[in-house]
Amino acid sequence: MKIEISDYNGTKVFGISGDIDMNSSPELRRELLDLVVRKVPVLLVDFKGVSYIDSSGIATFVEGLKGMMPYGGRLKFFGIPQGIREIFSFSKLDRVFEIYPSIEDAFNR
Amino acid sequence: MTKDTTVITVPSHPKYLCVVREVSAKFAKVNGLDEAAVEEIRLAIDEACSNVIKYAYRGDTDKKIIVRFRMKRNGLEVIIEDNGIKADPGVIRGRDMDEVRPGGLGVHLIRRAFDVFEFDERKEKGNRIRLFRELRR
Repeated sequence: MKIEISDYNGTKVFGISGDIDMNSSPELRRELLDLVVRKVPVLLVDFKGVSYIDSSGIATFVEGLKGMMPYGGRLKFFGIPQGIREIFSFSKLDRVFEIYPSIEDAFNR
Repeated sequence: MTKDTTVITVPSHPKYLCVVREVSAKFAKVNGLDEAAVEEIRLAIDEACSNVIKYAYRGDTDKKIIVRFRMKRNGLEVIIEDNGIKADPGVIRGRDMDEVRPGGLGVHLIRRAFDVFEFDERKEKGNRIRLFRELRR
């Protein structure tokens, strides 16, 4: 897994590629919670390059979202491949996370 | 070795989970399971092995996990063995799916892929998990 943090019109973008599993999710957690403690107002997560996610990866994002909620932060996902979208849907977390088709949609809403 | 059987032994380090996933997916694929089934099986076996590392071995990366795949006439059987701390099957349950909290999803993902998810009580030391997916489902 690789994480690249970039900027889109002043908003932080978390670009993830590769497999998110029990081996890589601790690194994801570190990077994500580092932004959460700094109270980043909006975080866009680019899933286009994610080839796999397991329950530890999902749990990491739930933890991130829970950390952002108290200060009104927003965690927005975009570019989620179909197979990974199905896991969010199966776990009913597609109702909890903000999921958008593209970075423009995620940024504008 | 029985026909249509594959056995792998991997160290209990999370970096080897990708090896387990790869073999799981390939085994299901060469035995004719469709793409959706292959994905479910790959994820479920990864979750089961992650649980072995987390709970049976408490994060000890120097132990081993044995995964046996067997294609039977009526379905796919996977046996996962460890020599770690014995699990109490009675307390293994996933979170309420309407509850939003980290954790507790893995068991649901295992049950989604497999019709049978059971512990072999005859194993004295460690755990032997049997997963079985019927072909007609």
